[in-house]
Amino acid sequence: MILPVTDDRDSGPFFAAAREGKLVFRACSVCQRGIHPPVPFCTHCGGEGHWREASGLGHVHSFTVVMHQIHPDYPAPYTLVSVELADNADVRLMGRLDGAVDLAPGAKMRVRFDEVAPDTVLPNWEPS
Amino acid sequence: MIEEDLAFLARDKCAVAGIGATEFSKDSGRSSLQLATEAARAAIADAGLTPADIDGIVRCDFDTTTTSNLAVSLGLRNLSFWADTGPGGSAPCMQLAIAIGALMTGQAKAVVVYRALNGRSESRLGAGVPGMDSKRVGGQGLFDEFYLPWGLISAGQTFAMLAEWHMRTYGTRQEHLGMLALICREAANRTPHAQMHGRTLTMDEYLASRPISLPLRLFDFCLETDGAVAAVLTTTERARDLAKPPVLIRAVAGGKANDARAGMMFPLVTRGMDDLGGAQAGRELWRRAGVGPGEMDVAQIYDCFTISLLVQLEAFGFCPRGEAGPYIESGALARGGSMPINTAGGNMSEGYIHGMNHVIEAVRQMRGTAANQVEGAELCAVTSGPLPVGSGAVLRRDS
Repeated sequence: MILPVTDDRDSGPFFAAAREGKLVFRACSVCQRGIHPPVPFCTHCGGEGHWREASGLGHVHSFTVVMHQIHPDYPAPYTLVSVELADNADVRLMGRLDGAVDLAPGAKMRVRFDEVAPDTVLPNWEPS
Repeated sequence: MIEEDLAFLARDKCAVAGIGATEFSKDSGRSSLQLATEAARAAIADAGLTPADIDGIVRCDFDTTTTSNLAVSLGLRNLSFWADTGPGGSAPCMQLAIAIGALMTGQAKAVVVYRALNGRSESRLGAGVPGMDSKRVGGQGLFDEFYLPWGLISAGQTFAMLAEWHMRTYGTRQEHLGMLALICREAANRTPHAQMHGRTLTMDEYLASRPISLPLRLFDFCLETDGAVAAVLTTTERARDLAKPPVLIRAVAGGKANDARAGMMFPLVTRGMDDLGGAQAGRELWRRAGVGPGEMDVAQIYDCFTISLLVQLEAFGFCPRGEAGPYIESGALARGGSMPINTAGGNMSEGYIHGMNHVIEAVRQMRGTAANQVEGAELCAVTSGPLPVGSGAVLRRDS
């Protein structure tokens, strides 16, 4: 598997929460817009961001069925999906489903937590 | 009182005086430094200059050839200005912009811009992110940690999601993407140096081509290429005394999407997909140029994929948002149309020199020397990238 850096000062809290079975995202303390990928300040108003726990619910924004395999640990076909959080429309997170899945944009999704290596957990998504 | 806008002062004041290129291939057999040097030497000679005349270099941040290595390799003795810009495909027109900045402020008198890569034989951009198997990905502002581990590995997969969204939102059809592939291919068929010179493409072949990341298929992708191109910029006044007719740079501009996110390419799937950097770049470009997109006789549009070309048609204002499909269908962009595009074949059928080949082809068109020449063309637009940041330029024939 391709493994993420999990201790970065900007993005580390996302992966630390995932290890605890929690989905978090960053949002502006002032205007409440989502900040993803997470950076310290809000691009819209300059306010400081903070981490919030998400409900774990969302819906399909866009997707692609990958037919051409690039990496041996990611056998084709698989379906990549961008999931918009029910909690904040500014935040879309990646999901991967095995096989060519016929997804409808707007379809409801629910988070699940995949441990891909010791101490490395990816929030992933499945139809709810 | 209207405040003076210095952008207008630069209008037509700088020019491309020379261009150079290596052959485009699947295996150059030599280093990218050698390719860069060959292309730069050719551009310098084309302008009627020598390396002693070159005092500036502007590089794309993805280039493995550094400005200092190129200066060493060219034997420059008077280098006084250098700069890097990017990311990647958004670089070419911004490289022109930086060169103009240096020329207009007296920091350089003759500047080389270049792009060199062994994009097929050494590091294939379609193969993912270098080092992704040997170390953890992301961190330090890259933000790849939110994409690659899930299997979003390549640019093609990212743009496929943009294509899915555009087709669903605006009724854009697979055939619209295919028409762009065919336009580029037909231009390459008329261009001897293009890699796809001898290979025709039909719509049936396009539609039957191998699915890579749906809805994108093989012929929606550009050609990973080995090769290099370079150009020499100087002031228009000086260029008029040099070997070739100068091609004037009417205007340049860059822009950033309103809701651009941190990271480079992958965050495209994380935010509004109709919010592209080219839109802001386009608005500023046309304002600075004093001419509009409808006045372009020919255009070179960055085409890492058919869909990236398509969305730039809208972002830069060549057609209204959401109407790229019918615009393509009208025939305007094909040979004989009101604004033929990618007249040497573009990244898809000439070669992927990361959009700097678009600049070189624009110069050929404005000189009137292109293999697939648009007769009487006087204005040519060049665009560099649809991503969260993009840049563009208007080149014109000297009058």
